[in-house]
Amino acid sequence: MTLSRIISESLKGLSQYKMRTFLMMLGIVIGSATLTTIVSISKGAQMSIMKNVKNFGPNSVMVTAGGGKSFGPPDERTTTLTLEDAQAIKDSIIGIRYLAPFTVHLEQNIIRDNLNTTSQVIGVTAEWMDAWQWYLEKGDFISDEDNAGLAKTCVLGQTVAKELFGTDNPIGETVRINNTSFKIIGILNKRGASPHGMDMDRRVVVPLTTAMKRLFNITHVGMIRLYIDDQARLDTVTTSVTTLLRERHHITPPQEDDFRVTNSMAVAATVKGVSKTLTTFLMLLAATSMIVGGIVIANIMFISVNERKREIGIRRAFGARARDIMNQFLGEALFVTISGGIAGTILGFMLAKGLATASTTGIMGKKTMMPAVISWEPFALAFLFSVLIGVLAGVQPARKAAAMDPVESIRG
Amino acid sequence: MIALRGITKTYRKDGALEVQVLKGIDLDIQPGEFVAIMAPSGMGKSTLMNIIGCLDKPSAGQYLLDTIAVDSMDDDDLSRTRNKKIGFVFQSFNLLPKLTALANVELPLVYAVDDVDMKANATTALNAVGLGDRINHLPSELSGGQQQRVAIARALVNNPAIILADEPTGNLDSVASEEVMNIFKQLNRDGRTIILVTHEPDVAGQAARTIWMKDGKILSDERRAAL
Repeated sequence: MTLSRIISESLKGLSQYKMRTFLMMLGIVIGSATLTTIVSISKGAQMSIMKNVKNFGPNSVMVTAGGGKSFGPPDERTTTLTLEDAQAIKDSIIGIRYLAPFTVHLEQNIIRDNLNTTSQVIGVTAEWMDAWQWYLEKGDFISDEDNAGLAKTCVLGQTVAKELFGTDNPIGETVRINNTSFKIIGILNKRGASPHGMDMDRRVVVPLTTAMKRLFNITHVGMIRLYIDDQARLDTVTTSVTTLLRERHHITPPQEDDFRVTNSMAVAATVKGVSKTLTTFLMLLAATSMIVGGIVIANIMFISVNERKREIGIRRAFGARARDIMNQFLGEALFVTISGGIAGTILGFMLAKGLATASTTGIMGKKTMMPAVISWEPFALAFLFSVLIGVLAGVQPARKAAAMDPVESIRG
Repeated sequence: MIALRGITKTYRKDGALEVQVLKGIDLDIQPGEFVAIMAPSGMGKSTLMNIIGCLDKPSAGQYLLDTIAVDSMDDDDLSRTRNKKIGFVFQSFNLLPKLTALANVELPLVYAVDDVDMKANATTALNAVGLGDRINHLPSELSGGQQQRVAIARALVNNPAIILADEPTGNLDSVASEEVMNIFKQLNRDGRTIILVTHEPDVAGQAARTIWMKDGKILSDERRAAL
């Protein structure tokens, strides 16, 4: 019996029992749809982690004032990090190319004539640009002279520039921050969202000394950004900085640190850790539904074989060999699982894309990035699983069908 | 063509009780014969049919089909033999209810070794029994007589030398019976061997040879001049 005849007989068999066929397919469809959704979304998550790492800066170490585990800039009342700390790091730790202490002031009112917006204001040194690997679209950056003279100059992020000046050229214009006028000397490149979903282009950069003495009257800094030459030394530098700061701040280990040192790898590891747990859980779920689907198929096949006893007998009387009957029933099981697998994969891709769209357009409340990536792996996985389950679930019922005595079965 | 020697068949019924339904059958059937096997119900004529049709094996004795010992055949050989040499017609038609007349008639071709145009051959067979205009009907849309004619077309489609019919008119009214018997007579005139089991004397009366069975044995074997 040729393959095409086996397939056509299996299809004839299945088309006699459409509802049953649908029910047999259901478990496999759900299983492979889940599987595909998970693979697509976790691949998307992987991609967005890599993007985050890139945004954070793959060669960067960040020292933040204040302890605890949360990310982001420190509370403004946290005064534990100083310029002397920054100098000490620069002096005693090797492998640091650029070092930039800076202050962060959230939610400041930025005014241009009758327009205003809120933005972070960041006090920086000239090295800030290199430490962040973040350069200008046009104009000049804050210079050492600006810092020495407590100059009232500033550089705008793209969002702020757009909100206050639209398409006008802001360079040479002034904005008011905290009742002080600042001359705009440059515009930063677009940077997009931070690893934590913050708009990094909503910021105004001023000289560090100006921010500390003129604007906010403080003596501490919020964060120190380090740029490392060799990515392999990332963890060594992170550890050295931690040790040094503990020493300077007189902290012995059982005590909690009053600062945090993070690097891009640590950021990635945190996000990856969460998504890995979730993925493992969902994978187990998908596997379970596939296995349950397989058991359902085996059961329905057994019932089917018993009910179709007479059909088997008739086929045997007209020349079907035991093996032909076996092939037909195995073919039916395989057709159910493979087409269920393919349908499930397509459904899964649609689901993943739908979830990705829903999450980026903010239908699910908060705007979060959950991209989905369509790839060949789910197809291969679903196909493999489907064939495996088809054979496992189909072989016993098919054997039973093949072993039926023709005389007995034709009586019905 | 068919040579049975000392055929017995014993069934084991629930437990130890053994029932011997065939008690030594000796029978020769030549190509082109029209043979009716008559017996009261439950007297082993269906069992004999199944043995001749290679669906069942005798408990003892020898069966030669075209000089080949059926005894020596394995399941594959028996299936091939049923496919090529024998066409079954049953009392209850035994059509697959969810397949059309055409698909039912195609069934033996599915298992044939030669790759033939299934649709064309099946259509020819249906035309031969006068159902060329019913090929896409389901069995439930056909009368009993029409269903039995579909079954005959199915038995014919692989062009077997022997047609085995087990009470083919048992579920039919007299008009349909006559139609079916006329088809068998025509097939016999075309040279095919027809063996039919019946308990109706007027059906048996249309065969050239009648074999009477009782208690698993052959009582008499009469030949008549061709009708």
